[in-house]
Amino acid sequence: MNRPHPKLGRFTDFSADMTAGSRAMGQDCRSDDLGRAGAGARPLRRILAAALTAFALVATPQIAAAQDRLLNVSYDPTRELYRAINDAFVEKWVADGNARPAIETSHGGSGAQARAVVDGLKAQVVTLALGADIDQIAERGLLPEDWQTRLPHNSSPYTSTIVFLVREGNPKGLKDWGDLVNDGVEVITPNPKTSGGARWNYLAAWAWAEKNGQDPKEFLAKLFGNVPVLDTGARGSTTTFAQRGIGDVLLAWENEAYLALEELGEDQFEIVVPSVSILTEPPVTIVDKNIENDSQRALAQAYLDYLYSPEAQALIFKHFYRGWDTSKADPGDVARFPELDLVTIADFGGWKKAQAEHFGDGGTFDQIYTAK
Amino acid sequence: MMNGFVAKSPMPGFRLGMGITVTMLSIVVLLPIGALLLHGVNFGLSNTWQVVNTERVWNALFLSFRLAFFAALFNLITGTLLAWVLARYEFPGRRIVDAIVDLPFALPTAVAGIALTALYAPNGLFGQFAKNWLAPIGNFLFSPFGVEFSGRIAYTQWGILIALIFVGLPFVVRTVQPVIGEIEREVEEASATLGATRFYTIRRVILPMLMPAALTGFALSLARAVGEYGSVIFIAGNIPNKTEIAPLLIVIRLEEFNYDAAGAIGIAMLLISFSMLLVINLIQIWSRRRIGHV
Repeated sequence: MNRPHPKLGRFTDFSADMTAGSRAMGQDCRSDDLGRAGAGARPLRRILAAALTAFALVATPQIAAAQDRLLNVSYDPTRELYRAINDAFVEKWVADGNARPAIETSHGGSGAQARAVVDGLKAQVVTLALGADIDQIAERGLLPEDWQTRLPHNSSPYTSTIVFLVREGNPKGLKDWGDLVNDGVEVITPNPKTSGGARWNYLAAWAWAEKNGQDPKEFLAKLFGNVPVLDTGARGSTTTFAQRGIGDVLLAWENEAYLALEELGEDQFEIVVPSVSILTEPPVTIVDKNIENDSQRALAQAYLDYLYSPEAQALIFKHFYRGWDTSKADPGDVARFPELDLVTIADFGGWKKAQAEHFGDGGTFDQIYTAK
Repeated sequence: MMNGFVAKSPMPGFRLGMGITVTMLSIVVLLPIGALLLHGVNFGLSNTWQVVNTERVWNALFLSFRLAFFAALFNLITGTLLAWVLARYEFPGRRIVDAIVDLPFALPTAVAGIALTALYAPNGLFGQFAKNWLAPIGNFLFSPFGVEFSGRIAYTQWGILIALIFVGLPFVVRTVQPVIGEIEREVEEASATLGATRFYTIRRVILPMLMPAALTGFALSLARAVGEYGSVIFIAGNIPNKTEIAPLLIVIRLEEFNYDAAGAIGIAMLLISFSMLLVINLIQIWSRRRIGHV
């Protein structure tokens, strides 16, 4: 959860939990609180309550107007990263002589978050797990189709890759993708339909199979045959693996795997880096249609530009993402990442093609579960 | 009974009451359902059928309704028993037990789901017990018949069943309890003086009187379990064709921006629920006729 702003209290606290559903729940609760004031009261009190409610509704945007706000709709594992970045950015923005902005971040499965924005969640900035989800928003005309060329590095200020998290001592001896389809190995991954990270998992496995002369479709069918739990988001899968003790290996974002090590103890898990993986690019962009005025646009632009600054890049390395600019980063944070053979989404013909081919209705992922 | 258009009543406020009833029903119930059906009509009947008539959707629907039915059945029996104990016996802590029954109503379903998952996961309190004790005993007894127990509860259909039982229990208890309170002890005594055994009294006197209320509780519990999402997704493995409930499939279709398919599955669930509730209502009418009006 984000720290609520002192003046706005709970009204600024839009940060949601793992699913879009629970975010809706949170908002419901708020409107409930207002509504309940009027129920069952005597006429005079009822009028008073109604007036207060109306005042609250009118007053909230006014308070907000005096202050620029930004809603950053992000995906699951960036909670810790954006908590640090938001604090640092607000300090810098204020130090540069601007009014203190209210920056909120909401987290959830990338696909669910994109749908929330499409359905009308007023996010000025989206920082999702993959380009395809932002493409979905662009398709509805909320931002231009060529959004990914607006910022450097395919609009991805940080990248990561997919690695294996295994239990201490690697009892099943899992070294590479090929070991995951062995009998008796349980693999934990979120559902590629609902989770952006899971789509990267899927494509990384696909790339390995192609490079090692296996039929990728058959390989993935076998791999998903070993999956006992499909969570809807990356964080849910991490919980299932780390806290519920299910499975022998978790396919995870590299940053999420390191975070799990840090939070849950290095004596319980180990990271295994496969021979082939994929360069994951979680892009960021402004949702043009949700920008209310010029000062908000300036804030949003500065926020995204800040992500590329040496200070933010240092935070990015610190939070286990692979950044671009190492000038201010702790060398220890940078040295952590091993070199490995990384394919990119371009090798799959870009997200538009990959999305339709693998994760669309009737795509290769659906075929795994209909072929039987 | 209303014979003729509107029977005159000595009570005032019919028009106002009726007006509020119709408005509320329309806004709260009919409007969303109407929107869903309208969406289905626009999508087309044959398209809707095409979406529903796939193995994965049938598996999900079958799973949802089958487990909801078993959960409601379990709640029907244990809930009636619980209600009987609460209504008929005085014991220390009765009021506390009475209040605990309502907890599943009050607890956010996501919290319930996470708590149940933590308990029944293989490293949880009950999960460990199931893995280390129940599974070996079960396998020892039943392996000659080709039945294997993995000892896993969370992330299997057993986990879903437990979550559904949890959310549905208060419905049966709360509908049956007041009816038990209404049954006078003299009825049982009369039955006994006429020579009925205790079991006969329960079977032919008490149960028929409880039947309509218990069926209502059963129907409510069933309806609740069919649509339950919040608690189940945490404890179900969500594996297609195995532990994927129909509401999750609707959410997955929504995440694909496939609103038509999501609506189609929603309509299928609505129709099945409607026919199940209809059957339950018919049974209720039949049982009322059989024993006379209670």
